[in-house]
Amino acid sequence: MPRSKHSFSLKQAAGVAMMLAFAFFALLPIIWALVLSFRPTSHLFVPIWEAPTVLTLDNFSTLARSDFPFALFNSLVTAGASTALAMLIGVPAGFALAKGRSHRKFIASWLLLLLRMAPPVGFVIPLFLLYLNVGLIDTWAGLIAAYMVLTLPLVVWSSWTSMAQVPDELIEACLLDGATLFQTLTKVVIPAARPGIIATAVLAFLIAWNDFFFALIITRSDTVTAPVAIMNFVSYARVDWGSIALASVVLTVPTVPVIIFANKYIVQSMGGAVKG
Amino acid sequence: MKPSMLKNATLGAGLAMSVALPTVAVADEINVVLFAMPYTQGLAKLEADFEAATGHTANIEVIGQDVFENRITLSFTGQTGDVDVVHTPVIQVQRWIEAGWLRPITAEVDGMATKDDILAGPLDAYLVNGDRWALPFFAETGMMAYRTDLLAAAGYDAPPATWDEMLEVAAAVKTDQVGALAMRVAPGQGFNMFVFPMIMRAYGGAFFTDYSGGDLTPNMNTPEALAGLEVYSQLMNDYGPEGIGNFNFGEVAASIQSGQVAMIVDGTSIAARALDPEQSQFADQISIAAVPSGPAGRSPAIAVHGLGIPADAPNPEASFAFIEWATSAETLTKIALSEPYPDFIRASVAENPEVVAKYEGIHPDFLNLKVEMLGDAIGHYRPLLPQWPEIGQIVGENINAAVNEIMSNEDALAQSDADIADIMSE
Amino acid sequence: MGVQTLFQRSYNQMLMPAVLAVIIFAVLPLVGMFGLSFTDFNLIKGWGGEVGLHNFFKLADDRRFIASINVMLMLSVGGVIFQVVMGTLIAVGLEKIVPRWKFMRGIFVVPFVVPAIAVALIWLSLFTPTLSPINAFFDIFGITVPAFLTTQYGAIAAIVIADTWASFPFVMLLILAALQGISSDLDEAASIDGATKMQIFWRITLPLLKPALLMVALFRFIETLKHFPLIFVMTNGGPGRSTQATNYYAYIQTFQSSNVSYGAAIAVFLFLFAAIISFYVARANARISGA
Repeated sequence: MPRSKHSFSLKQAAGVAMMLAFAFFALLPIIWALVLSFRPTSHLFVPIWEAPTVLTLDNFSTLARSDFPFALFNSLVTAGASTALAMLIGVPAGFALAKGRSHRKFIASWLLLLLRMAPPVGFVIPLFLLYLNVGLIDTWAGLIAAYMVLTLPLVVWSSWTSMAQVPDELIEACLLDGATLFQTLTKVVIPAARPGIIATAVLAFLIAWNDFFFALIITRSDTVTAPVAIMNFVSYARVDWGSIALASVVLTVPTVPVIIFANKYIVQSMGGAVKG
Repeated sequence: MKPSMLKNATLGAGLAMSVALPTVAVADEINVVLFAMPYTQGLAKLEADFEAATGHTANIEVIGQDVFENRITLSFTGQTGDVDVVHTPVIQVQRWIEAGWLRPITAEVDGMATKDDILAGPLDAYLVNGDRWALPFFAETGMMAYRTDLLAAAGYDAPPATWDEMLEVAAAVKTDQVGALAMRVAPGQGFNMFVFPMIMRAYGGAFFTDYSGGDLTPNMNTPEALAGLEVYSQLMNDYGPEGIGNFNFGEVAASIQSGQVAMIVDGTSIAARALDPEQSQFADQISIAAVPSGPAGRSPAIAVHGLGIPADAPNPEASFAFIEWATSAETLTKIALSEPYPDFIRASVAENPEVVAKYEGIHPDFLNLKVEMLGDAIGHYRPLLPQWPEIGQIVGENINAAVNEIMSNEDALAQSDADIADIMSE
Repeated sequence: MGVQTLFQRSYNQMLMPAVLAVIIFAVLPLVGMFGLSFTDFNLIKGWGGEVGLHNFFKLADDRRFIASINVMLMLSVGGVIFQVVMGTLIAVGLEKIVPRWKFMRGIFVVPFVVPAIAVALIWLSLFTPTLSPINAFFDIFGITVPAFLTTQYGAIAAIVIADTWASFPFVMLLILAALQGISSDLDEAASIDGATKMQIFWRITLPLLKPALLMVALFRFIETLKHFPLIFVMTNGGPGRSTQATNYYAYIQTFQSSNVSYGAAIAVFLFLFAAIISFYVARANARISGA
């Protein structure tokens, strides 16, 4: 670094202060949710610094006794399965769009975005009526398929952009060695585009994991997901803030290690998309 | 773990685009869908009792109210047949009947040996077009809860008896730390529209020109209703706690429990929570009183909830067996003792010594005051019309806008008349 | 190229499952949505037949609908500005101000994984004056924090803040990616020439980030058009109708008022609006990646 010591200036201090302020903003709601999770009902409205030791594990037993663990399991299964399925059929499609010959690539990319953008309020009723006729209401299969609406366009789009970075020569060499196209995809292209593929899977999982609206409409008691089950703590005469906060924390915790592990892949893969 | 999970697991494993197997109904298992409130939460814990009493099994699902409304509407529309007993608020019943979603249970109810034990008001709330459509389990009315210490400190030994007095007391009680009065303000037919008519009707306002006489011309834009709205706006804005403009029942209950407000006017369940020492820090300083009155008298809020049978329920006899058990004196007594549930609808429960002891322990006058308020309440406190949910939503928005000073009080009422006319003409 | 022609059939086979899945689960319901918008279907009153463009004429006269567009634009434009500015500042800060504090990036990605419904509930508690630690903290100094959720612009600001919190990490990740594509030689050359860090940022870094910024802004803009859980949980559309964005209004029409067809017409409007914007996203993307 050509800079000397005296360059640690007021401006840099201001920069560091800004970063710390942003970090505080990012963490405050999380810390607050943790605080609420351990507060007894009687002290919810007492500032934590006035009675910092009044803590309870009651909310854990409330949560354990509720439908929430079951809903969490449903969320994991449906988000996981829809991600796997979307990857299974979306990545080959992304590959075909990245390397195949087509004059309609722009249309395809627009269409994918469009599907990603369609307002769920509008098509959830037709989807509901469709499901009614084929018996998919309140089934895992139905919810997984609905999540494909959300995840598949993203998977195709995102794997397309990352696999577009793989050099054509690599693919052609592999094909000339006698591999089939599918073998080429699994043996050469996917490993070469690994960061992008991992990032795609993580983003797809998060989208399905996040969903509230689809689950609200097409699940019933058997397949209710965690985001919908949280709303059950808002009952008449009482909003159970402790359980809500704890449920939010529980819903967040499993995905934190994933995102911390995966964020560098996301950056790498998005790098592919934005630098070109 | 639910029994159907195994089925789902098999499905999930071999899924791809597979189509689900048609749901195989377990013999005589009753699916009950309710939304969360003390009675329903208490009922869900008694599934085993039901099985012991009738031999049927029940799967009682208690979900959030918002989730319930969306889900049940679609289940009914789709005739999914997956609900055997449904939570039926009086406020929805006309709409559901018009849509053909409910099954009448007139003969079953009239054949009940203990029918006369049920309070006539709540029971007949479900008598529409000559048929009975549900059995009530809950009749809530309006009530005031207040902090005796804070009122005394401001020089008042008794709570305000009229809304005019309320303005005066509120002005004296309000401090920087403590709001004077909290009521629901959040927009919605079950939110601000549960409490606002208490004030509007006390000043002589009404939704229609002559509801009872059958003249359904919208008539909210009157000096009487305006007087009521002005009092409500002023009470909330000048004397309410910080943030009152978005308060719902949860915040109202919490504000008195945590000592942030001196008075609330809300439903009896909320008042009961204010008096509960386990949840309320100032329970020993809190007393209860009648809903304030106005120039046109007193009009406590009323909300009745019951259990009905969807039109497409596959096994109505079993469904009714559940309803009969769930609204029986025995079951209501159990829940009244285990939960904060003072809103039972059977005379015999109100006479049960244990129940009386419990609620007198909370406050000696609680049950008497509740009966008095129920006596003052009119059945059509919120108009009993199929269009009400829609009207309540939009008028609730206008009233909320007025309280939060986004619209003037006059404009909000004029707008409400126009909106109601639109809805009624469709 | 010759190889590609040879394998075109295999490529098509790879594309097929995705195309089929998209048609069944996305295109069919969308067609249904368009179909419904030309009919009169009410959950209570049942089927009222086809009505042509009637629902769309009704939209043009509907004050609540017009107002909802205004709300939607305020929420979306406000949200996008804050997210993009904050995400960019943090990304640049992580690279230039605190490059050695690797754990900082971990902190900033956490909000990204909090499900929207939890975001809404947590922020509702933070914006409820009687519950919020922020209000309690300022009370110590005798400062009353205004109640955000009870004023028109306050409620909009509250939703924008919650949305910004949940979405800035996405912007940050994308801008970090773009920054890594910018050669650090440029910076060094400029700083040897005597440019200050601020000058480098404004004159060199920012112009190079422009395509990425444009894309992420458009992308977030379309996402914010779909706001649902935040409004549903935090404000119910209130105070009054101050936060009834178009998507939420479609929900009210469909589920509260049972006007499924009218709700579908509103959704069609939103869809067409999003279609125009996603056209520009696709074009911006095509330019950036040179596809």
